[in-house]
Amino acid sequence: MPELSPLYALLAQLLPFDCLQARFMQQALLGLLLLAPMAAVMGIIVVNFRMAFFSDAISHSAFAGVALGLIFSVDPNWTMPAFGLLVGLGIMILQRHSNLSSDTVIGVFFSAMVAFGLAIVSRDRSLARDLQRFLYGDILTISDGQILCLMALFLILMTFQAVSYNHLLYIGLNPTLAQAHRVRVAVHQYLFTGLLALIVMFAVQAVGVLLVTALLIVPAAAARNLARSAGAMFWWALLISLSSAVAGLLISAQDWARTATGATIIIVACGWFLLSMIAANLSRDRTA
Amino acid sequence: MSRSCAPTSTSWNKRLAATEAFPVYQPIEAAVRFEEVTVEYDGISILDRVSATVPKGSCTAIIGPNGAGKTTLLLALLGEISYQGRIHTSPNGTRIGYVPQRLSFDRGMPLTVSEFLAMGFQKKPLWLGIHPKLQDLSREALTLVKAEHLAGRKIGALSGGELQRVLLALALRQEPDLLVLDEPSAGVDFRGELIFCELLDTLRHATGLTQLMVSHDLATVTHHATHVICLNRKVAAEGPPRQTLTSENLTAIFGMHMGLVSSRSMPENLAVCSAPCCQERPDA
Repeated sequence: MPELSPLYALLAQLLPFDCLQARFMQQALLGLLLLAPMAAVMGIIVVNFRMAFFSDAISHSAFAGVALGLIFSVDPNWTMPAFGLLVGLGIMILQRHSNLSSDTVIGVFFSAMVAFGLAIVSRDRSLARDLQRFLYGDILTISDGQILCLMALFLILMTFQAVSYNHLLYIGLNPTLAQAHRVRVAVHQYLFTGLLALIVMFAVQAVGVLLVTALLIVPAAAARNLARSAGAMFWWALLISLSSAVAGLLISAQDWARTATGATIIIVACGWFLLSMIAANLSRDRTA
Repeated sequence: MSRSCAPTSTSWNKRLAATEAFPVYQPIEAAVRFEEVTVEYDGISILDRVSATVPKGSCTAIIGPNGAGKTTLLLALLGEISYQGRIHTSPNGTRIGYVPQRLSFDRGMPLTVSEFLAMGFQKKPLWLGIHPKLQDLSREALTLVKAEHLAGRKIGALSGGELQRVLLALALRQEPDLLVLDEPSAGVDFRGELIFCELLDTLRHATGLTQLMVSHDLATVTHHATHVICLNRKVAAEGPPRQTLTSENLTAIFGMHMGLVSSRSMPENLAVCSAPCCQERPDA
């Protein structure tokens, strides 16, 4: 495994806060610096595809993924993303090939996943304690192995975004129009869904099941209010999610705050959203 | 509902034949040929063995009442839905430009008209900017549809007529051989519609493209179409507007009230259209 220590040392020098001198904080910071931009750029498409509920369903399948790992005694760190991927693709297949509305399809999957996960977890008292970790997330316990996985995912995802951003926007605008313009709609939808499922599963570990969707859509939603073009929206979303992640981590480590990191990050992002609403209203008043 | 409709009744044939000579039938080159196209949805037949031809270079209108399967036929042509039967297009590939009826999209999405016109063509992601060459091409297409002032606007802030012109610009940017329009006059005011139709006529004459549009607006059809397909789940009639838009056919596809309205005004009044766009109609 490559040594990440020089990278941590560099981070500690770039952001010379007292709280960032501890190794676990440096790991958390690096993890967030990788995760936040991925969540932000995927969030743009999630918002355009109106898939917020979909990402919620995947995050809730985390329980079931872990439970499956425990049943078959496989490392839950593998079963969780693998199961999330399966659920995501399953929903997409059903959505594309059935006449049910997409929120109905997702609702059914959602309930099945949560019920299955809870059923397994409830059998075993010791597992119930783990439940809290998934509900609230814990970026401070991220390992070097997970960071390397995030790095690999980061490379794949940013390449995908660079190649497919325009086509994904097109499909989000109107799939029929995109199809008529020879955009391969199905391929893009499946690839996007698969990558989204993986991101969501990593994000569950950072901010918890309850707040995964927020990490995806709040920066994108704020960016929508601030941006005047699709290109600018991308950069706004990046800026908002990165600044929220760093600020959230630092605030949560302060003595006066001592809050959960994931929740603090989302609060900062929601602050951005509030500002963006005010900015959007002001500019509307000016043009009106 | 099953109704068998003769393409043109004998009485009309006699009347028309008395006033003008019928053009000698010539096999026409087809841009699209629908062959026995059947679409069923949950056991309900939407299109029933539809066979029709869209002549090359024509302005073909598909008319029919709501629920007649007009949009379904277009979607089958675009490959959006599965169907039985066959749809033949040009063997060496047809580029289809599609202008949807009402683009349902998220109006809050920050997307400028220039980005909208570039995103289907540009490989480089939009967040790295739009290629200057594509900017120029987009501007040309917008100028063609008299919408060059809209380039910097957000697409969600456009009016119905403006959006339709931008959609047409997008379709034209694909240099289509076949331009498919679903209800081009829906959601557009009268003036906007006139501009839109004249624009299409000019473009068709200039580029030789084939235009296929769906409409339930008979005024648009009589003014602009050179070929009409009357559809009500089946093809009731097909041919040049004068021979197709007979009161019998219209009654057959639209039902009683339509027949009552059009029995006196069709088809004699077709010839007195004074709009400039109608004067050059090949069959007029």
